[in-house]
Amino acid sequence: MLFLFQDNRIHTSKYSILTFLPINLFEQFQRVANAYFLFLLILQLIPEISSLTWFTTIVPLVLVVTMTAVKDATDDYHSTHLPPSNILYHGVCFLYFTGIVVCEAPNNKLDKFTGVLSWNGSKHSLNNEKIILRGCVLRNTSWCFGMVIFAGPDTKLMQNSGKTKFKRTSIDRLMNTLVLWIFGFLICLGTILAIGNSIWENQVGDQFRTFLFWNEREKNSVFSGFLTFWSYIIILNTVVPISLYVSVEVIRLGHSYFINWDRKMYYSRKATPAEARTTTLNEELGQIEYVFSDKTGTLTQNIMTFKKCSINGRIYGKRNLFFLLLALCHTVMSEENSAGELIYQVQSPDEGALVTAAKNLGFIFKSRTPETITIEELGTLVTYQLLAFLDFNNFRKRMSVIVRNPEGQIKLYSKGADTILFERLHPSNEDLLTLTSDHLSEFAGEGLRTLAIAYRDLDDKYFREWHKMLEDANTTTDERDERIAGLYEEIERDLMLLGATAVEDKLQDGVIETVTSLSLANIKIWVLTGDKQETAINIGYACNMLTDDMNDVFIIAHALESDVKNDLLELACMCKTVVCCRVTPLQKAQVVELVKKYRNAVTLAIGDGANDVSMIKSAHIGVGISGQEGLQAVLASDYSFAQFRYLQRLLLVHGRWSYVRMCKFLCYFFYKNFAFTLVHFWFGFFCGFSAQTVYDQWFITLFNIVYTSLPVLAMGIFDQDVSDQNSMDYPQLYKPGQLNLLFNKHEFFICMAHALFFIPYGAFHNMAGEDGRHTADYQSFAVTTATSLVIVVSVQIALDTSYWTVINHVFIWGSIATYFSILFTMHSNGIFGIFPNQFPFVGNARHSLTQKCIWLVILLTTVASVMPVVAFRFLKVDLFPTLSDQVCCCSADGYLRG
Amino acid sequence: MKRKCQDYESRLPDNTAMKQQQLPAFRLQLSANEILSGFFAIGLFCLGMGIILLLSAKSIREVEINYTAKCATCAKLREDATNFDKECNCSISFYLPQKMEGNVYLYYKLYGFYQNLYRYILSRSNIQLVGTDVKDVRNCAPFKTSDNGLPIAPCGAIANSMFNDTIVLLYNFNSSTHIRVPMVRTETAWWTDKYVKFQNPTFQNLSSAFAGTAKPPNWPKPVYELDEKDPGNNGFVNDDFIVWMRTAAFPNFKKLYRRLHRIGNFTEGLPAGSYSFIINYNFPVGRFQGQKAVVLSTLTWSGGSSLFLALAYLVTGAVTLLASFSMMAVHLKLKERKTFFLQ
Repeated sequence: MLFLFQDNRIHTSKYSILTFLPINLFEQFQRVANAYFLFLLILQLIPEISSLTWFTTIVPLVLVVTMTAVKDATDDYHSTHLPPSNILYHGVCFLYFTGIVVCEAPNNKLDKFTGVLSWNGSKHSLNNEKIILRGCVLRNTSWCFGMVIFAGPDTKLMQNSGKTKFKRTSIDRLMNTLVLWIFGFLICLGTILAIGNSIWENQVGDQFRTFLFWNEREKNSVFSGFLTFWSYIIILNTVVPISLYVSVEVIRLGHSYFINWDRKMYYSRKATPAEARTTTLNEELGQIEYVFSDKTGTLTQNIMTFKKCSINGRIYGKRNLFFLLLALCHTVMSEENSAGELIYQVQSPDEGALVTAAKNLGFIFKSRTPETITIEELGTLVTYQLLAFLDFNNFRKRMSVIVRNPEGQIKLYSKGADTILFERLHPSNEDLLTLTSDHLSEFAGEGLRTLAIAYRDLDDKYFREWHKMLEDANTTTDERDERIAGLYEEIERDLMLLGATAVEDKLQDGVIETVTSLSLANIKIWVLTGDKQETAINIGYACNMLTDDMNDVFIIAHALESDVKNDLLELACMCKTVVCCRVTPLQKAQVVELVKKYRNAVTLAIGDGANDVSMIKSAHIGVGISGQEGLQAVLASDYSFAQFRYLQRLLLVHGRWSYVRMCKFLCYFFYKNFAFTLVHFWFGFFCGFSAQTVYDQWFITLFNIVYTSLPVLAMGIFDQDVSDQNSMDYPQLYKPGQLNLLFNKHEFFICMAHALFFIPYGAFHNMAGEDGRHTADYQSFAVTTATSLVIVVSVQIALDTSYWTVINHVFIWGSIATYFSILFTMHSNGIFGIFPNQFPFVGNARHSLTQKCIWLVILLTTVASVMPVVAFRFLKVDLFPTLSDQVCCCSADGYLRG
Repeated sequence: MKRKCQDYESRLPDNTAMKQQQLPAFRLQLSANEILSGFFAIGLFCLGMGIILLLSAKSIREVEINYTAKCATCAKLREDATNFDKECNCSISFYLPQKMEGNVYLYYKLYGFYQNLYRYILSRSNIQLVGTDVKDVRNCAPFKTSDNGLPIAPCGAIANSMFNDTIVLLYNFNSSTHIRVPMVRTETAWWTDKYVKFQNPTFQNLSSAFAGTAKPPNWPKPVYELDEKDPGNNGFVNDDFIVWMRTAAFPNFKKLYRRLHRIGNFTEGLPAGSYSFIINYNFPVGRFQGQKAVVLSTLTWSGGSSLFLALAYLVTGAVTLLASFSMMAVHLKLKERKTFFLQ
């Protein structure tokens, strides 16, 4: 196969300065909403249809597109520039290199590499250990020689980074359905008005037109209805406001920043703040029903301490051998710091605990090279020759080393999960096995993590044959892994049991409180762990997830693939707590998928290790614990923080707030646009369905983006219906989000929007000004309705905002002030003098808004639009009080929250 | 070590009220009492306002005479557009049982005339009307130019369809003496319309200012002959024209035509007695099945008759009060229950 190899530049950024504009615009108009508005814009350019001047759509569209473009550009600018290259390295240096490397195609498997290096006529196998991946840090040596195999986008890190699939929240989906419904509604309105127009043209319009000398050509009333339909689609399109999506994005971004800024989720010991790595999922955090948690490193600290051991069934005769094994069989690296102390670099904290234990008992692991391991054995330095290293993985669940000791004997030392190792023992171990098993259950019962250890004496000849086969296997490219696995199986048998170790992993701080609190919030916590059943149960008890009065503890074993999947799920979901033990990473993801699919519930997966990545990616929301086990979980996650206990604050405070805010925002946003638009619909019945707008064109242009955008954004970002302390104290407040209860009130709102047309309509019927001059003209009507609308929606947002910060004050009062100042400016003599055709409303504000009767109309409209909503809410709080109402009542008797 | 500490500190989020969402804020949480008293207050206010508006609406004297059918002969004449040059006068007598005190305003009122049609509203040229360029007829379709290609001034459908009946009110002092009720046309249009929005082109002679333009097809005479006696009322700044050009919001509308000039017998207003309107009938409403009427009306503090507004306030007030009572009932009842539960 031939590949076009990439150079080492990494284009994590999508755009360059030149390509930014066209590419970005193209991408933006691929979004349905933007394309729709572009379509509307084109419609408006057809003179027969156009019912609004072009700027009413283009100004908001340009604004929205510009905002999105700026956001994309900044996102792009900030995207990280990582160091390049996968490098092949080996302990030997090649000064004059003329070899050939044959290897696999670029892929994203971090733990696997196959290849062969041909050099000087001999072949050397290349595997994962001989590779330094991009992003790795070189340790224990100041330099090394290497050869670049893949560069740039071909590196494993980059191959991994693009794979995350796009997650959407349920509010997103709801919003999209809603928008579709509203489109349907829009088409209905358009059709009604189009039919109305046909009838009107037929009955009245014809005669009226001839009277007006409008006898251009005989107009077909059906065709006129057709044109009217499109005209009204243009006018009424504001029910789906162009700024909706961009506002939602802005709010979510704000919420993400609040998560990043929260000092209460900052872990000072590791200097790790919480991080919202995705900015689009925040409100989903307020709707979580299932939390899937890893155990080690997530619930526990992942700081292992060697607690107990069972050596040869408590016969201490082989004690030395036991600790020698612990000092030899591991992947720990040692380093001496400036003070001459040994520092161990560990991949897994378990190993660290074991090596440290051996060190404390006189078997000090000093250093390693690719061929040797040096140990200080009770005071004397001994160097073992490392002949082979049989590495650990999730399927083998064990690791072994084969060493030659100074006496020349070859030994295989193995450690691993007890179940696995016990199967591979020599038959002579039977008595010892039963004894050790008893000890192991005892250890597990105390919540300790256990490992069994064993050794095997190897015959020189046998080993050499085996080693040759291994090297052969290594140099082949096809089925190499299988052959190597077979060879490992072959040599790791007839083991002599040495004993078992037990390592304690302490619970993190605050886990118990968090679990209790989340349970109160009706969030079901499932613990998925690879540990033994006893260990898992014990942790369950320790976290307060399992209590003595529960008599059913349910454990999933191997039921995932079979047909009993559904029964299993039914049963599991009835339980308050589920602990799954002995699960592989793949099974973790399967459990999550199962619940997602059949329960239709919002799920969150939290974990810290590479084995949690699949689970984190498949859950609705993935949370990574930035802890001991590297960065993979964090890189795959949507949110990350350092301690499990921050989950409580993330869900109960940030998630809940985000959800409540988003619901309030959407309710209000749709309300305001319906109120804005329905006036046109009713006006249609009184203007011969001629697609005449009620408002001034400028008002239509500015209403959504200037007059009413900021107060609702401020509410969407800053509102707090209850304080964070209350959210933490009353976890039950979380429940409405799970039931998706908050975003369903808008229907009621919309009914109230009609007062906005009918009160001014009635009042204008026989109106005359205070000086007798007529004031029932179209322009005054436009100003009156527009002013009523701005005041009504401002009063409504004022009532909806339950947390009035300075910003809210500035925005709400500022919007009203802006409205009036823009109104008076646009109606001023000066601007009319410059653009007589664009600003024909000259003097209108001055005349209309000095009339008492106009203000009486505005006042009544406001009262009639707002009071029913207030009454409705009052009765709702009284008749069906929710907990959040009660929480408010406890503090201040709150009856008026959105 | 020192550097590490700085790193630690730099990653710690700032402890500002904004970032920690601790901005000092007023929590809007109204208690039941506050809401109920608010409701009562608003209900009472609306009711009170309704009563005041109702009383003032009742105090207004208003006479409306629909003369569509009453001037049947004239209406018939106008059905046929070819009779445009034939004069037709129509007299309508009526009796005013009570005097109309204070300022009295004379309106004409049209029914079924859609001044709010989209294309109708657009069909005008503000640039022309403000006098900068008499030949600017850009938006005036379909009345941009006359048959011989001259730009129409004033162009557009609004101007072309201008209401052109003349209405004169006679006070029948006795069967033989008819006094013409003194009426003024000044201050019938908005100040900004008269002095900002509508301006004649600056020329010594008005007719030469409009040279090269044509009159609107429906008009009997060009715009510079609307009022040849008063240059302040001629051309684009003619009050009747300006009033007409301010298009109405709804198909039934009234527009101010004249104000009573309070002199002589009419210092107090219109005395009770017998009156008649002499109408020079030009405007053909029959063709679009519309109707027209004359309205005499007095005013009150809030302007013209606002019966609708009065009733709307009364209804809103009553409903609000009713709602507050039922809300109070529900609240008190549930409060008992709640306390019961708490025990």
